[in-house]
Amino acid sequence: MVAHPRTPARPHRLRPLREPKPIDVEADGEWRPVAVTLGGRRLRVVAVQDAWRIDDEWWRERPVSRMYWQVELEDGQALTLYDDLLARVWFRQAYR
Amino acid sequence: MRAACVFIPRFPIAIEIASGRAPRGRAVVIGESADSRRVVLDCSPEAEAQGVRPGVPVREALGLCRDAVFLAPDPIRYHEGSEAFLRVLSGVSPLVEGGDLGLAYVGVDGLQGHYEDEMTLGETLVRAVRGGVGLEASVGIAEGKFPAWAAAAVSAPGEVTAVPAGKEREFLAPLDISLLPASPEVLRRLDLYGLRTMADLAALPLGAAQAQFGPEGRRLWELAHGLDREPLRPRRHEESLSERLTFPEPAVSTEALLVAGRELLGRLFRQPALRHRAVRRMRLRAALADGRSWERTVTFREATADRDQMLYVLRCTLEAAGLPGSVEELSVEVSGLTEETGKQEGLFVAKGRRRAQLEEALRQLKARFGQSPVYHIVEVEPWSRIPERRLALIDYDP
Repeated sequence: MVAHPRTPARPHRLRPLREPKPIDVEADGEWRPVAVTLGGRRLRVVAVQDAWRIDDEWWRERPVSRMYWQVELEDGQALTLYDDLLARVWFRQAYR
Repeated sequence: MRAACVFIPRFPIAIEIASGRAPRGRAVVIGESADSRRVVLDCSPEAEAQGVRPGVPVREALGLCRDAVFLAPDPIRYHEGSEAFLRVLSGVSPLVEGGDLGLAYVGVDGLQGHYEDEMTLGETLVRAVRGGVGLEASVGIAEGKFPAWAAAAVSAPGEVTAVPAGKEREFLAPLDISLLPASPEVLRRLDLYGLRTMADLAALPLGAAQAQFGPEGRRLWELAHGLDREPLRPRRHEESLSERLTFPEPAVSTEALLVAGRELLGRLFRQPALRHRAVRRMRLRAALADGRSWERTVTFREATADRDQMLYVLRCTLEAAGLPGSVEELSVEVSGLTEETGKQEGLFVAKGRRRAQLEEALRQLKARFGQSPVYHIVEVEPWSRIPERRLALIDYDP
């Protein structure tokens, strides 16, 4: 008899890299990021270095529509954020 | 096959008494470290009379024999004594098999013509050991190694017992069954069956001995009949090289020992005999400031001439051992010398082997954790503008 391999019966699974993570962002009236909360600290956005919009996969049930912001925070760190334009939820994501 | 067994009982004790470290006629116990506890390596007959046995914890021996002289082992001295013992026997016969400390078998077939009889040959061996090592050995001569050993074991130091060919069973018959090379459990069961002498066991049918004790029973039954077909395995001369270095002040730090180790390896590899050759074994010895000694032997998986690798092994050995005191002298001996000047690596083989080793390691991890804990990165849609679509992790399952 073959011993049970203890492995869950599942096909090889792909785990996406660079998945977005929700982040608490304070935006102005035009949905531009003003401040973010990281580790319980509110950090002001001191500069917007870049901004771009992605609309894709419009043929899917959940299309992608994001407004990306590459910002510099008051403590000097750079962050890439996006505003999910359909759900109006903010995420941070490594974008390379 | 006629064999002579030359036996020096309680060899470490005999060496300690001969060197003056242990007093003659008093209870002496040599304790060694085994794992984290200290156990008795050897003891004198006076200590044995008070219940001390090799293998019992030193603490227990201390309780049994409070007036004993307790000594730390000196493996270097024992090793050198054993080598000298085998060397003097090699002067009598070219066929010498070394056994435990103080035990050797000498092939005597063909030597009889040189001596008046076997007793004279045995006395020659006793004299050789006395003259060369300064210790009293007993000698047994018989057909086969076990009868020869039994003859030596029942002889007093300096005595010779020669068992005539074909009389082995008769000779062994009255001897205690505990002389058989059996495990303590088998000896206990033999005793439970009321088998006290070799004759008791020899009187059983072979089938009964086999039924009770399996293959070991057959072997013991044959030995009780005086039948030992195990051949003599003469030791071969092995080329070895050594270097030693004495510290101006006893060294305590591993770093100081490593500096000495590097120097010794450098000296060894500068010797012409080691040029373009690799070594298989390295023996480290340290003479400690308090008169004790320490010894470790390292066998390399593959012969090496890489001094850095040897130094790394030396460091690991010293760190793992935790030397019991400051070192006055360090010596390194290398043996198992090869004739190779180097090792030819395959052009593609090494890479393939590394991959096979990696895959085997991953299989082990999978067996342990139930699933492979290792992933590899695959490009899924590298052209995508959406970052999470570009790359993904997938289970690495060799």
